[in-house]
Amino acid sequence: MINFLIVITVFISMEGATWLIHKYIMHGFLWILHKDHHDHSTDGSLEKNDYFFVIFALPAIALMYFGSLEGFNYVFYIGLAITFYGMAYFFVHDIFIHQRVKLFRNTKSSYFLALRRAHKQHHKHLDKYFGECFGFLYVPKKYFKTKK
Amino acid sequence: MKPYTYFLILLFTVFVCFIASFDKRIEFHKHFGAFIKSAILVAIPYILWDVWFTIHGIWWFNFDYTSGIVIAGLPIEEMLFFICIPFSCVFTYFCFDTFFKLDWLSGFNNIIVFLSIIVCSLIALLHPEKTYTFVTAIATIIILIYLHFIVRATWISQASFVYLILMLGFFPVNGILTGSGLESPIVNYNPDEFLGIRMLTIPVEDAVYGYSQFLWVIYFFKLFQKRESSIG
Repeated sequence: MINFLIVITVFISMEGATWLIHKYIMHGFLWILHKDHHDHSTDGSLEKNDYFFVIFALPAIALMYFGSLEGFNYVFYIGLAITFYGMAYFFVHDIFIHQRVKLFRNTKSSYFLALRRAHKQHHKHLDKYFGECFGFLYVPKKYFKTKK
Repeated sequence: MKPYTYFLILLFTVFVCFIASFDKRIEFHKHFGAFIKSAILVAIPYILWDVWFTIHGIWWFNFDYTSGIVIAGLPIEEMLFFICIPFSCVFTYFCFDTFFKLDWLSGFNNIIVFLSIIVCSLIALLHPEKTYTFVTAIATIIILIYLHFIVRATWISQASFVYLILMLGFFPVNGILTGSGLESPIVNYNPDEFLGIRMLTIPVEDAVYGYSQFLWVIYFFKLFQKRESSIG
């Protein structure tokens, strides 16, 4: 039960971490990897931005490894939560928002539509500075439009 | 009959695919050249791996089921395994690639590579003393990193999907080799050197080992295919 709570808590706090990492690292010194996600300067379907999957895999691996050495203690579950967040990120960001796989095109859920709008807003800024909407699963209220 | 068991398994594996290769709608026989080159190229490291594992007793063969021709400690059938099994696998991949539009799967490459690297790294870190487990996990990580980040292959998900379908053949073939339906297995594994998790009789490592081998063969097959078509 406590492990379940750890996974949920870490998963939620990953949203904050993502915001920080996205704003200050990806749009900071690692902009070189994130740039092509905004300006599509790379040929082919793999973006340099996709290296972040590996970068986030490393702490997850380390945490799960050391956690399992200690008899699968809380450290393991923190790593697991990061992995789950990575999977959620893939399904929402890669598939739903950027349509790398053409699924869920015609959603009517107001949350998902707002999410898409917020992400679009983020992508309006093609350069490193003056971005907005750095979060991912959390969507500011103003992007929820009332239905027509 | 018994000494031909292993040989017959290989024969059945190849037979149907070989005949179907000449079907007008498939015409896989036009790609035999590209296939054989890629299969041999991949067979070399995998046979060396096999020889090394046999020498160190990580696995061994029951010669009651083989013809008795032995090269470098391996029955000749085991050598042929590295041509016959890839043949049916590449044939199946070729058919799926020809008849179904599976390009849309390529969006899944990130998640497949992400999860596989996490799982394989964890298993390798946790069981470095289990040689079969460790070497298989490392080999899989290397091929996935190479294909995804260096080659930027778009077909990793397609190949993985076809590999899932190939499980239909993997279970009977590898099942018999590992002892399903036989008095004793043809291939035996040292219990200290693998996780001990078996799917029916098949060690779970075999599926991952097959996956890494399959990806390599497809990679070279596509490479030689492209070269042939650019020459022809």
